[in-house]
Order: sequence, then structure tokens, then C-alpha cells
Amino acid sequence: MTIAKQMEVRSNIKKYFDIAFNGDPVIVPRKGNKNVVIISEEEYNSLEQLRREAAYASALSSRRSPEKSPSPDSSDIKSDNLRKLSYIAALKEGWNGNGAPAFDKKLISKVRELLENLSIQPEVFPTALQTIQLEYDNSRRDHMEIEVGLSNTAEIFLVRYDGSESFEQIPADADHINKKAGAFYG
Amino acid sequence: MDDHFDPNEKLYRAIYPPEVAEMFWRKDGTVSSAAFADPKGLSVDRGDHRSDETVVSIMRERFTGRIISLYVKNCVNVGASVKYLPSAHNTYHSEIHGSDTVVLLSKQQRVALSRKAVILAESH
Repeated sequence: MTIAKQMEVRSNIKKYFDIAFNGDPVIVPRKGNKNVVIISEEEYNSLEQLRREAAYASALSSRRSPEKSPSPDSSDIKSDNLRKLSYIAALKEGWNGNGAPAFDKKLISKVRELLENLSIQPEVFPTALQTIQLEYDNSRRDHMEIEVGLSNTAEIFLVRYDGSESFEQIPADADHINKKAGAFYG
Repeated sequence: MDDHFDPNEKLYRAIYPPEVAEMFWRKDGTVSSAAFADPKGLSVDRGDHRSDETVVSIMRERFTGRIISLYVKNCVNVGASVKYLPSAHNTYHSEIHGSDTVVLLSKQQRVALSRKAVILAESH
């Protein structure tokens, strides 16, 4: 961390911008404690990302504690997910701008049935691999993705808050996904 | 421009489909890793050190959805390969591949890159 007076920064602005760009924040003390910090765009983006993740983790935490604040009912989330699935079903060939095929009706039916029977609703996303990705995030900042295709198995990719990762194949049915989601939030 | 990419060069990705803006956006405001799965190669426009405003205004001529940006070093740090593949319609066209020999980004790479992505422009 570099500390530089306002006059010094003003006289050597490029020097201090370069210091900040290379990852070293520059603190500029000012009268009345109106200090400013110069950081790179990349550092700013990382901080913004952390802020968004913290806000999201806080929202998740309050969602799991009904006494804290009202949150969307799981049936509302399910309705939103089913609505999104209908958008995914309507995607036409080339929907990703690079020739991705439209989604097979059997896959849409399969995921609709899953969503109807999942006790903890995920976030739902299409992929250009003819699969649908279900995502869960918990208040520990772990992230779990479950990729569902036409096969009888689903692939789980788990990224824990400490950066460790694991893969697992499970039967692509609601019982197994419910167990995994329950353990994820437990 | 040539095949060399500066680690601090930016890459710009249009997130399709433009008509359903929320398709790849998570509730925390970040983009899903699912948007980084493309078996034909993840198309991007290389920045070539142009300003964000310049790149976005040019991309806006052919795309109305959200636009995100990444740095080349974000890709290199996860072992992905950035390839300069200019087309007749777009001299800045490039692709992010899983490696020099594998086109599809791995799940780890997709998650890592989605966490580094910054939303530059909302849908029109």
C-alpha cells in the first residue's frame, strides 16, 4: 500500500496510476479525514463482485431464517423456475449466436418434473451443450452446479468457499437431487 | 493485430439470447457459468486496447443484449487458450478455448471465468 500526499499525486499522476494499476492501492490523505484510495479497475471489479456476493449471501441467510424478514415463498420460486423453463423450451436453433440446437422436448419434460419435485429450488440456466444447469449457493459461499441432460445421470460440480472442488455423478431424479441439496444447505 | 494477446487486453462477450435478458443472470447479479459453455468455442471480441465505450458502441451495431468483459490474464490463469480468429465481418473476433487442443471450457474454467466477468452494458 502506498501513501502519497495530494500535491505529490497531482504532480505525478501517471506514476501513481501505474502503481495502482499494478495492484498496489494508493491512499491519498486529505484534510478532515476525507481520504481517497486509488485502485485499478480490476481491483474495483473484484471488490464489487465481493460486495454482490456478500449481499447475496446475506439475502440467502435471511431467506433461511423466516423470523428475520419476509422472503419469496418456495412456490413462487418454483413458479419462476417453471416460467423460465418455458423460455428455455422456446429457444430456437442458434439461440446462443453460435449454432446451439434447440432443446429436446424430452429434456424439458424431465427438468419440469424435477422442478415440480425439488424441495429446495435451484436457479435454472440453459447450456449450449443440450443440458440444463441447476445452481445452488449457500450462506457459506459454496456453489453447487447440477448438469442435467437426457442421460439417466446428472453431474454435480461443487466449489467450496475455500476453493476446493469435487465432481460426482448421481441418478438424475428428484430424490437424489433433494438429498444433495439438503446436505448442501445443512 | 496478431496472434499475441497482452495479459491486460480485454475480451468482450455478448450474452445471448438478447431477447431474454435474464436468461443467464443469477439472483446475486452475476452471470452463470452456463453462459461459458460452447462446444464450438466461446466467441469474444478482443479489445486491442480500445476503450470500453468504443467496443460496446461497435458491438451494439449487431447485438442488443448484455455485454460482459474479461481480461486475457483471467483466461490464462485458468489454463484457457485465447485464439485470434478474425472473420470477414469482424476483425476483432476471437475465441476462448479450454486449452490449445480442447475447445470446450471445463466446468472449473467456466465457474472461474464467470466470477471474473464484469457487466459492461445492459440490454437495449
